[in-house]
Amino acid sequence: MSGRPIIASTQGFERDVTRWILRGYTVLAFTFLLLPIAIIVLMSFSNQRYMGFPPPGWTLHWYEAVREQPRWLTATINSFCIGIPTALLAIVFGTLAALGIARGDVRFRKFLLLLMMAPMMLPHVIIAIGLYPTLVDMRLQDSYIAVIIGHTVIGVPLVFITVTASLRSYPASLDLAARTLGAGTWQAFRRVTLPMIWVGIVSGGLLAFATSFDELMLALFLTSPGTETLPRLIWDQLSFALSPTLAAVATLILVLSVLLQGFAVYLGARRSALKRAQP
Amino acid sequence: MSDVKGFAELRFDGVAKRYGEIVALHPTHLVIQPGEVFALLGPSGSGKTTLLGMAAGFVSPTEGRILVNGQDITRMPPERRNIGMVFQNYSLFPFLTVAANVAFPLEMRKHPKAEIVPRVRQMLAMVRLEHLADRLPAELSGGQQQRVALARAAVYNPSVLLMDEPLGALDKNLREEMQDEIKRFHAQFGATVIYVTHDQHEAAFMADRIAILNHGRIEQAGPQSELYERPNNAFVAGFLGEANLLHVTAYAAGEAGSRSVATQEGLRLVVSGAVQTGRMVCIRPANITLSPAPLSYANTFAGKVVDLVHAADSIRYRVQLNDQCQISVRVTSRRADARFEKGQEVYAQWEPEDVLLMEN
Amino acid sequence: MRPGPLTDPAFPPTNAAPRQQYRLAHGKYWSIAREHAWMVVPPVAFLGVFLLLPLARVVFSSFAQPTWTLGNYAKVFDESFYLRSFWYTIEVAFCVTVVCLVIAYPLAYAIASSRGRSQKLMSVLVLLPLWTSVVIRSYAWLILFQRQGPVNSILLALGWIDEPLKILQTSTAVEIGMVHILLPFMILPLVSAMLKVDRTLLRAARVLGARPVKVFTRIYIRLTLPGITAGCALVFITSLGFFITPSLLGGAQQTMAAMMIEQAVSVFLNWPLASALSTVLLAMTVSLYLIYAKLTGGEMGMALK
Repeated sequence: MSGRPIIASTQGFERDVTRWILRGYTVLAFTFLLLPIAIIVLMSFSNQRYMGFPPPGWTLHWYEAVREQPRWLTATINSFCIGIPTALLAIVFGTLAALGIARGDVRFRKFLLLLMMAPMMLPHVIIAIGLYPTLVDMRLQDSYIAVIIGHTVIGVPLVFITVTASLRSYPASLDLAARTLGAGTWQAFRRVTLPMIWVGIVSGGLLAFATSFDELMLALFLTSPGTETLPRLIWDQLSFALSPTLAAVATLILVLSVLLQGFAVYLGARRSALKRAQP
Repeated sequence: MSDVKGFAELRFDGVAKRYGEIVALHPTHLVIQPGEVFALLGPSGSGKTTLLGMAAGFVSPTEGRILVNGQDITRMPPERRNIGMVFQNYSLFPFLTVAANVAFPLEMRKHPKAEIVPRVRQMLAMVRLEHLADRLPAELSGGQQQRVALARAAVYNPSVLLMDEPLGALDKNLREEMQDEIKRFHAQFGATVIYVTHDQHEAAFMADRIAILNHGRIEQAGPQSELYERPNNAFVAGFLGEANLLHVTAYAAGEAGSRSVATQEGLRLVVSGAVQTGRMVCIRPANITLSPAPLSYANTFAGKVVDLVHAADSIRYRVQLNDQCQISVRVTSRRADARFEKGQEVYAQWEPEDVLLMEN
Repeated sequence: MRPGPLTDPAFPPTNAAPRQQYRLAHGKYWSIAREHAWMVVPPVAFLGVFLLLPLARVVFSSFAQPTWTLGNYAKVFDESFYLRSFWYTIEVAFCVTVVCLVIAYPLAYAIASSRGRSQKLMSVLVLLPLWTSVVIRSYAWLILFQRQGPVNSILLALGWIDEPLKILQTSTAVEIGMVHILLPFMILPLVSAMLKVDRTLLRAARVLGARPVKVFTRIYIRLTLPGITAGCALVFITSLGFFITPSLLGGAQQTMAAMMIEQAVSVFLNWPLASALSTVLLAMTVSLYLIYAKLTGGEMGMALK
């Protein structure tokens, strides 16, 4: 597709100058974008207690501190205990919605789309303010279920988008072909639709998990000390002291996120390889 | 029930399809004989795909029934109908190999593995693709993919084979090759085939009988020769081959028992044959002879060549006969005396048998 | 009728008739739509109960708690603190959007005009910050902006300042932090729109005699307008709901809407007030989306694809 500047100048010099300016700018911009994250990672290895820069020496002390403090471990476990069910629920609801809207020819399609996307478009604080009393009424407050529900609400749109994209990536006649070949409803779904959309399902699920893992606003409202998630704990600790322990935690979370998202990207790349089969 | 298993008679009994106010298909009656290749021909939106969709089970008729060998399948979902379908975009499963694709319907019908493998191989041999059995569809060319789709649709001996413009995605040369392929396949295999296309040459080549559809109605159905030589109306005449169309104003008796018709365009034509009704007249450009001097044809008219266009194997002339009438003439002969220039005075002539009378 | 080799007895064909008897008497017509239509019910029910109902509850509470009253709104609109905070929120959102656009546009252009490997690399680098949580990124700026932090250290070393600046607890810190966090949300729609630009149009303009600068300003920017509006809408609306960054990097003067609402609950335990504030924020968000939808006329969210 690209490879040359979009707007080509006639004079070589003019073009070179603009190209070098653009390059320089790109480097600056990316530095701005990535520097803070790099700083965090660096700080996690600093052997200085307060967060001075540049750090005088290197240590893994803070990572050990993280491992030793039971509260970090509990919070991490909580985040997983909440994130995984969230991802699964989001997958179920998101996939059903995507299939229903894409193949179901339902009325009020625009309204349904709006409903599916709404959680993504609203500030989480509003959802939290409304959801907490509702969950109290259901006697679910302070439980894992409360947070799971809250995170599922914001996770469903993510799965919906990825699965819808998967459904759109191949002609619907493929599913119909399976039916003419003798596959019943469930068989056709399992043997044909699912292989075509599972990439969308999984990457959506990973996104839902990652979102839940990082989410603070709903967690502030819906978690209790017993179900404290990692972001909640970080937030609490922030008001105490700026310790490199937090930097260590942050780096660990970063590594986990990168692995998860990297996997999702890899899946996406595999999907586009398969798409080349379509005429 | 058909004696010979595998071939079925398909009967459309008054099927129609309405979407609210819009009529996609008017009540249609059609019987397709076991083992024949039947083409549904027409422009886009003519209802041919709707009719095919009803046979497949994707389109539910607003009224009417569909019967296969006498059994009512109208309300059946596709997987119970035992039909085979080939789509325009092949619809091969991209995540399965060629062999797995062809094996799929057999797996759905719970055939034992021991039977599936040789059957698949046999089928691939019929379309000459056994050497590609372990490839993925993405690695095959368009023509090859379509052959796999054909094998997959036929491997379980469906009673009816439906083809929805299967060659639409291929370029011309490949299309002709594939037409040969499909015909050869059908000769070996049998099966009743319904073939949807918008290409009249393809329909003529592939089909035993053709139904021409327009605006949701079957205009005429029959063998190609019948549609070409005895079109019912102007649409059929114009769709299948070229046509010069004239409007009839009056009939009159002529000499020696022959009849003539007067036309709006100012020509008086001598006609023959039993058909003595109809409001339109069609003369095929291929049936008109041009010459510098009149020959002994019953219908002879003087005119001037106003335009000529070269085609691959013929020349098409536009000849002005009078103020209201300009006709097309197609000359395939390459002889020097069959060539004319713009502005040249010529005589256009044809036999009475070549004047086709139509309803409208 | 044609006999064929496949009718040989070694491979008995399946029945010429359809597979099984199928109950036709009371059955409806099969259609793939009918098979799938019910699937929307569970997700709609779930979101109906856990999204729509809570939202309705928020709006309702703002009018109905503690009794039927407009008193909550009176408090919101009379006390200058709340009004000022809403206004500040809008200000910040606007400022952040503009800055994001200015910074993102050339970067997006660079990404869109790069090729294969480097384009992939740059895309990943843009996405990388998104894979760290907002808390972490805000925390990073907290470190950077400290008195003994790197920013001050470098400025001192360069001799640009004499003593460390107080950057934290200012609006600038909040805005810089928010720009950093929201930049990818501006970059991605821009890149997407730029990749869709039809190069032949630009070439046509050159052939017709336009100089590169003119081509850029009059044609290229117009062609990327969908990306610009999508990015700006996304950044602006997201900014309205920001909580973490202004809490960490700002002081009392930099209270944004979400912080107000959270305070109303955690500090003042005044849920009705929080509902009223939330309703105002909701109204702002929804109306902005309506405006955006009217301007673009497309399916929301899907436009980002």
